[in-house]
Amino acid sequence: MSIVRFPSDEWIKIFKEELNKSTAYQEVAKDWEGDFLFVITPDEELKIETMFYIDLWHGKCRDAYLVKGEKQAKFVFKGPYSNWKKVIRKELDPIRGLIRGMFTVDGDSRVILDQAKAAQELVNTASKIPVVF
Amino acid sequence: MGQAIECHFWDPAIRFDHEVSFTSEDIGGGITLRKPVFTVEILEKIIERIKQARQEYLRTHDILEVLDAIDTVNALWRNPTYHGRKTARDVLPTVTGFSIEMIELWGFNYFFDILKKDNLPLTGKQQPNNFKEFARCGDGLVKAYGKPHISHSNYEPEVIGHICAGNILGLAAFEMVMDKLVDAATWVKVPSEEPVFGALYAKSIEEVDPLLAHTIAVLPFNSDNTMVQEYLFSKSDLIRATGGERARKNLTELAERHRVPLAGHWHKFSFITIAREFLDAQAREIAELATLDVCAWDQQGCFSPQEIYVETGGRVSPKEFARLLAEEMETTSRALPKGTNSGKIQVLDGYYQYFTKETMGEPVKIFPSKTHQWLVIYEERNMNLEPSPLFRVIRVKPVSDIMEIPKRVTPLGSFLQTVGVAIPTDRLIPFADAMGQAGATNIRTISGMTLQKAWEPWDGRFPLHELFEHDGIHWVSIDTEDMDAEIKSALQRKRSIVDQRLEFKRK
Repeated sequence: MSIVRFPSDEWIKIFKEELNKSTAYQEVAKDWEGDFLFVITPDEELKIETMFYIDLWHGKCRDAYLVKGEKQAKFVFKGPYSNWKKVIRKELDPIRGLIRGMFTVDGDSRVILDQAKAAQELVNTASKIPVVF
Repeated sequence: MGQAIECHFWDPAIRFDHEVSFTSEDIGGGITLRKPVFTVEILEKIIERIKQARQEYLRTHDILEVLDAIDTVNALWRNPTYHGRKTARDVLPTVTGFSIEMIELWGFNYFFDILKKDNLPLTGKQQPNNFKEFARCGDGLVKAYGKPHISHSNYEPEVIGHICAGNILGLAAFEMVMDKLVDAATWVKVPSEEPVFGALYAKSIEEVDPLLAHTIAVLPFNSDNTMVQEYLFSKSDLIRATGGERARKNLTELAERHRVPLAGHWHKFSFITIAREFLDAQAREIAELATLDVCAWDQQGCFSPQEIYVETGGRVSPKEFARLLAEEMETTSRALPKGTNSGKIQVLDGYYQYFTKETMGEPVKIFPSKTHQWLVIYEERNMNLEPSPLFRVIRVKPVSDIMEIPKRVTPLGSFLQTVGVAIPTDRLIPFADAMGQAGATNIRTISGMTLQKAWEPWDGRFPLHELFEHDGIHWVSIDTEDMDAEIKSALQRKRSIVDQRLEFKRK
């Protein structure tokens, strides 16, 4: 796997492919229904807000791309670039990040918290993609 | 044979260079409280150990494991036969002065529900922009006032300290659980008035998950022990404190000196408002419910009502409501008796003060209890807000329109806290909004004033959020979206406590 830039459309496309290869993710997310906007808000290192759309359905990723313009989703998971970097490096569990206010969610957060294992597999998959920040 | 109760908790494997000495205090009833005598060397080892346990456990274990452990601990406490609860039942009435009925029926049976895994507030930060008007949160509503100017943020606090006031049981347990959600090690200063429950709760965590428990230290020391406080403040990333005016002054100075953020919860003023729509055939039921707010914790909580405003224009007048309230106070007080330390003097003082006014022809009517368990005073003219002598002394005052109340209480500002209400839904939102602007923080259905829901803000801040970020937002909550349904279920709860208890006593 070649090194890709995070965040980029290339990265989210590889993430989709890797997720669909992951039997671990398919198992723990088999009950999950719902699409996400992952919003990366600017901080000292990232100047422009970046947004990924990702459609997750019963252990599969049906669609994923870098959003240009407006987009709606069932859940919006939002946080600064530096916190996303920690998640991708597996230094921060996203559920803990949500509890500690490092990320916010629009949508029923209890549903996400009930899917903590699926969230962990998303992170495991993301962490395997070689990236340059 | 007497019972010796240890008021401290830390990892028992800590080895100190010198043996820890203890004081013993005989508090009567065959109960002796044992408290350690702290030195800097002892405190150093304890703080190092909770930090180390945090690294070993909280930083490595899945959050689901932490939540499951907390849930198992609370399931233990919800079981009346659990040995820790039995010890608490044996000891706490003597220690606190609250009646056993208050501790068991109003305390344990409801408190541990707040800490159930499914009820814990796991979304650390609400977004004020989504709450510019009252919007759904938990099973109620919240609204954000003010501007989100952030004055402190630390999303990874290592050590959080808690200084707990003694007026309400269980605060130490709540604090231990909240800290674990943000992966912080915890020290808790338990109150001198009630130094027992914190250690019992920490020991119950140790039974379930020793390493999790070893991230916690329960430290009984007097608030005038400056050596201990100076040391602990210097080693903490945040302090949350509850207490009165003296504590506010002292702890604020200490926190400033050590540059440690302080989340303080100080003296507050709470009251009840009853709208005319509920002063019809339902008036007696509303009086029944109001008795629980007055009797709960013998009116010692910051959320306990000090006055009741009753709107005129209903079928039952405010004065008649005061009479109904007195009748129901007698019934509720038999089921939930006042504790042994609970202010006969205050009741008598209130009685003689208002007896004089009544005999002088002032528009005052006293409804006394023969046993000095409680006192209801109807006062027609004095519209000033006045603190109650507490210990189940409550004043009822008429008001021609409930929307006059926010204007009247505005001078109290940030001293306002909980408003217990029986107000129809269509009038509730404008009332709550005006009360929020005046400074109140929690609008709760009558009888639930002392029953904080886990999702609700506390003094205008969410308890979990406050542990990692301080901002200028003042949150106001309404504990229900459906007042009629909440009153119906509150009445069932009241009758299941009071009627069943009286039935049990008759048998």
